[in-house]
Amino acid sequence: MIELSIVVPIYNEEGNIRPLHARVAAVMEQIGRPWELILVDDGSRDRSPEILEQVAAADAHVRVVRLRRNFGQSAALAAGFQVARGRIIITMDGDLQNDPADIPLLLRKLDEGYDVVSGWRRHRKDKLIIRKVPSWLANRLICSVTGVKLHDTGCALKAYRREIIDRMRLYGELHRFIPALSRIEEARIAEVPVRHHPRVSGKSKYNMTRTYKVIMDLLTLSLLLKYERNPLHFFGRVAVLCGVGGAAAAGVMIAKLVRESGDAAGLNILASLVFLLFAAGMQFILLGLVGKLIVALGDRSVPFRVVSRRGAGA
Amino acid sequence: MSVMLQTQREPVELESLKREARTRVSIVVVLSDSAREIGEVVAGLRHLAEGLGVPYEVLFVDDGSHDGTFDRLAVEIADWPQARAARLRARFGEAAALAAALQLSRGELIIYQTVRVRPNPRDLRRLLERLESGYDMVIGWRFPRRDSLLNRTISRAFNWMVSRLTGIRLHDINSGVFAARREVLESIQFYGDLNSFLPVMAERQGFKVTEEQIEQMPGWFRQSRYPKEYLQRALDIITVIFLTRYSKKPLHFLGFLGAIFSLAGLGISGYLFFYRLFGFGAIAGRPLLLLGVLLLVIGIQMISIGLLGEMIIFTHAREIREYSIEKLIGQADGTLP
Repeated sequence: MIELSIVVPIYNEEGNIRPLHARVAAVMEQIGRPWELILVDDGSRDRSPEILEQVAAADAHVRVVRLRRNFGQSAALAAGFQVARGRIIITMDGDLQNDPADIPLLLRKLDEGYDVVSGWRRHRKDKLIIRKVPSWLANRLICSVTGVKLHDTGCALKAYRREIIDRMRLYGELHRFIPALSRIEEARIAEVPVRHHPRVSGKSKYNMTRTYKVIMDLLTLSLLLKYERNPLHFFGRVAVLCGVGGAAAAGVMIAKLVRESGDAAGLNILASLVFLLFAAGMQFILLGLVGKLIVALGDRSVPFRVVSRRGAGA
Repeated sequence: MSVMLQTQREPVELESLKREARTRVSIVVVLSDSAREIGEVVAGLRHLAEGLGVPYEVLFVDDGSHDGTFDRLAVEIADWPQARAARLRARFGEAAALAAALQLSRGELIIYQTVRVRPNPRDLRRLLERLESGYDMVIGWRFPRRDSLLNRTISRAFNWMVSRLTGIRLHDINSGVFAARREVLESIQFYGDLNSFLPVMAERQGFKVTEEQIEQMPGWFRQSRYPKEYLQRALDIITVIFLTRYSKKPLHFLGFLGAIFSLAGLGISGYLFFYRLFGFGAIAGRPLLLLGVLLLVIGIQMISIGLLGEMIIFTHAREIREYSIEKLIGQADGTLP
């Protein structure tokens, strides 16, 4: 029975795979619980695939999942989760910037009764302007929108209980918002400070061109976090705004009619505005109803809270 | 996709139609109203199939013919033990016929053709050889193409457009002839007319797709294109962009459009607001006011529909698997939980 599954997405990390495996193995031998290391090859184009095969052949703890092409980090993690068998799942980056020696810290925190424990890179070893500043800004934004208060949502080193992983909906590029995704599944989230090392081998896959996508995903998540069970409340608010606008336009129109101060063209335009806003309001209400329908038909499982608080090692 | 099936004799359970023996190659032929050429098609395929030298089966799927195709077919294949024929209860279209063929066939490799294309059986063998050299899907490229000038021109434009939009490098995307590994077809959801885009979908899943020139048999070919179909093509292109690029992220697409509309509306409304505020004149009579508000409303609605799309995806996200695993190495090799 595997207890701990360590899931690591690998994309062009030929120089890091062997040291990563060695460090993880050393730490896991110390912990002494049955473990497996799942390396997900997300369509690497360097020598990673063969090195992965060699590592898997040499150590029975290692399992390699090869994806048909590069599907991105969310998909790679989801593939690793699908294959993982442990009751606790730990994720980290394949670039050796996370230190496997921190895994015991995460496990201890899980034992306190949390469902998700996130690493906090208190002393980041990255370039200030291109990595740390954008990361800090993104973190502030994500925290304030999703309401999940963490110092470092972007840290890949995290530990989860299986129940959360099984419920978590990870797709697209939502790996950036895993704490928020776990919050949607009612997880209790904690963080612990972890070590962080500068990158030794390979290239960083980080870039800043994704701001637009991040903002759109955040918009989605903020809606889902607040209104997942009742989207009508959200669309209803927009509808009310339209209705208020329409009523205001109607008021101006009636005032002009009473005072006979408006010309015919002006009244026509005001009337059109009233109709437009009321029609839009109606449409938003309808959208909200469709949203309700989607939610009602989509997920028939009972919303639950993880109640099992046995220690992670029990 | 549920398809009503009817076999040569009595309606039979689907399971009993499946071959139990290990079959290497399934040759699937979709036909409708092809009574005239069926004899020639069967003879050509039989010659090809018997020369393959591997266990094979041939499956004819009659997509709701009205001209006695099925009866002719039953006679033609009566002395050919590897051949079977299935009839759909009505005309369901090529995607449905292909789905039915997948259900009924057993081969690891599938050679698919619609009779309307009339490929030279000799060339089908080359498609198979490309598969065996490591490709997952090989599309037949009708060259030279026997078709009307109009059809050829439109098809060229269509293929060029799809290439540009999806990045796939093929000359004849929906030629109606291809060979593919079974797993490719089973991992793609095809419905409606989207079977035209099978290679695009396959490549999205990470399968290796290529093409191979095929010759079309001389003589008869069907004039079956109507303006409606060309319109359908154009709409299909939009569908495929949406499905391949944004299917899991509708808001990335609609949010962009919505933002443009909203910003334009906001700009106009803001201008009018300050115009009124600083007393340059009344705005109630200005059509610009209507335009500004209209753009704003449309923009917000686009974003809202994008959000609704996101909700649909999120609600069903546990059923969606957007990656495709090539292999699993390590304990319990090859088996997925």
